[in-house]
Amino acid sequence: MGRLVSIPSTWELLVRDSRPALFVLPAGLIIGAITVYPILYVLWLSLHERLLIGNVSRFIGLENFARLWNDARFWNALGNTLYFTSVSVALEVVLGLAIAMLLHRAFKGKGFMRAIVLIPWAIPTVVAAKMWEWMYNGDFGVFNYLLGAHINWLGSAAWALNAAIFLDVWKTTPFVALLLMAGLHTIPKELYQAAKVDGASPWVTFLRVTLPLLRPLLLVVLIFRTIDAFRVFDTIYVLTGGGPGNTTETLSIYAYKVLFQTLQFGYGSTLAVTVFFLVGLITLVYVRALRAGTT
Amino acid sequence: MGNKHLHNGLLAFIVAGCMAVAGCTKEPPPDPNTITITFKHSKLFGDPAALQTLIKEFEREHQGIVFHTSKEPGIRVKDETLPSSSDEQHQFYVINLEAGSSDFDVFAIDVIWVAEFAKAGWLRDLSKLLPAQDREEFFRGPVEAVTLDDRVYAIPWFIDAGVLYYRKDLLAKYGGVPPPRTWGKLVRIAADIPKHDIWQGKQYEGLVCNVLEYLWSSGGAVLEDGKVVIDSPENREALKVMVDLVRTYRVTPDLVTTLTEEPSREIFGRGKAIFMRNWPYAWRLLEQDGSPVKGKVGMTVLPHFPKHPSAATLGGWQLAVNKNSKHPEAAEQFVAFMTSAKAQKHLGLTVGFQPTRKALYEDAKLLAAQPALAELYKIFQRARPRPVSPYYVLLSQAMQSEFSAALAGVKTPEEALSALQSQMEQILKRHK
Repeated sequence: MGRLVSIPSTWELLVRDSRPALFVLPAGLIIGAITVYPILYVLWLSLHERLLIGNVSRFIGLENFARLWNDARFWNALGNTLYFTSVSVALEVVLGLAIAMLLHRAFKGKGFMRAIVLIPWAIPTVVAAKMWEWMYNGDFGVFNYLLGAHINWLGSAAWALNAAIFLDVWKTTPFVALLLMAGLHTIPKELYQAAKVDGASPWVTFLRVTLPLLRPLLLVVLIFRTIDAFRVFDTIYVLTGGGPGNTTETLSIYAYKVLFQTLQFGYGSTLAVTVFFLVGLITLVYVRALRAGTT
Repeated sequence: MGNKHLHNGLLAFIVAGCMAVAGCTKEPPPDPNTITITFKHSKLFGDPAALQTLIKEFEREHQGIVFHTSKEPGIRVKDETLPSSSDEQHQFYVINLEAGSSDFDVFAIDVIWVAEFAKAGWLRDLSKLLPAQDREEFFRGPVEAVTLDDRVYAIPWFIDAGVLYYRKDLLAKYGGVPPPRTWGKLVRIAADIPKHDIWQGKQYEGLVCNVLEYLWSSGGAVLEDGKVVIDSPENREALKVMVDLVRTYRVTPDLVTTLTEEPSREIFGRGKAIFMRNWPYAWRLLEQDGSPVKGKVGMTVLPHFPKHPSAATLGGWQLAVNKNSKHPEAAEQFVAFMTSAKAQKHLGLTVGFQPTRKALYEDAKLLAAQPALAELYKIFQRARPRPVSPYYVLLSQAMQSEFSAALAGVKTPEEALSALQSQMEQILKRHK
């Protein structure tokens, strides 16, 4: 009697086992070429003194990182970035949640309102920033006109970074509201009914039902927004270019100036690598929090 | 119906045929041996036809040209414009030149890049085109900016410098006083009238141009024999005056820290200021029909501190030849042609170009077309280049930050200048 099942040869096994890997290979190569390679290259560059001006190129190990540590401009930019990120994200999440809950209720013209709310988010950032630059104009801007004030929005150290935050909040709150609205839809109505039967006040319902069930989505929103805000570039570049006196210079703007205005590729890469690791760190913290919440 | 289809088909056939043999264009087919040089520059003000006319003329004049090494049937010039942002142009040039590109032969560069590009070895030595005895024909500032170790790396093409605009009518009302010669006098007039003194105080390259005019006109300097001398008593005093214009005398509004050239012109153009520092380009726009200040504007040299001459920051464009150009001799010919008195005059008459050759400022026809040139002559003679250093862009980055910090009150002028001194020293040390 012949065998009923043919036993595959080692070769066949090898091919069969590696088949999934082969299918993934093209995608892997593309991702490797466009993501992994540049990241590694920037890492490599960050260990070099490389200047197009003067045509300098030499390996200097961690010297750039030592320079970064003693660079007052870097710490200033980091401080600005952290301030911008924390204030704008906090405002966006609070306002976004309020708007989402408002729009979640049934009322006439709800569809229309939802569409209207999204407009700021739909406008390209550079265009919005240019618009706001005019509105902030200290001479004939609409904000000073409405307030009857003479505030030097973009030219004073006290206001400039806050002015950029207002713009970011205006522009991105709709995005947060949209995501949270989707989250609100997933909460079963029965839970609200049950809360009502138990005699819970609206505030208690919000704290005990809405917030816990929105938690995973809130964390996702926070991850998105924090990373985005941390890398902020176009908003501020258009509004102030980093001025006055570097009071609105964030890490991305500083990196841009070092990389593309003064063409110091080595030190600029060091800055970029630092931003990369900081963003990685933030993500790690959030993902941990997300996991802790789900298990 | 069928007839119409046939007609359309025929028409399409004829058009296609024309395009195929290119027989329907006016130009004769180019000689296959004609060499082509590429000219990169930023967009010129006004009618682009002015430059095209010159290029055509150059091509006509250079048919069958004989060079040392070759005889060419002709030279064609392809001109290509770059984005108007100065940063983007700088980036474009540096990236391409560093990579050894020969895609362009002749290019227009800002005064502040010449030293950098020359030091990097990207520019062809053009000393032959501008021998020592001919340098007198040009304004001193641009010649200084294009010269490194007594070699010339670009030929001045268009000159620019900071000027003081003033309101003639308001000064007349104020008792017919002449425009102020000192900063102190400027403050007094502006405070008395009272109307603003406007300049460019945003954190950007223009701020450096503005501040240097105050520093230089107080006898201060930035670099001396390659040494940083920015933290000097003269400079501290001058920077303090700028801060005081805003904070103490209040003749300059605090929104000056947001102003670049165009917003300043806009404020002055609406009649809200009596004085404005700007570049000469604003003149035509202030004097055009419909401008509220038309006929009321004067232009003169910037004020200075007592006992020191007035100074203006030099701007403008120079023509250089790419070291890797495949047709260096043709490229040199083109630079010589474009910077000649004839070409500069043509651009002066058509698009309001400010020539770099002094003699043209006595040309009756040009003066009739641009009456402001008479006054500009005096200003351009005082125009000083920003520190001529291969690392200027790095130095400027530091200056922009610290000057802006002083104006915004983040630092005192003393703190800003002492920080700047050590930053600039470090930049020069690092790049020895």
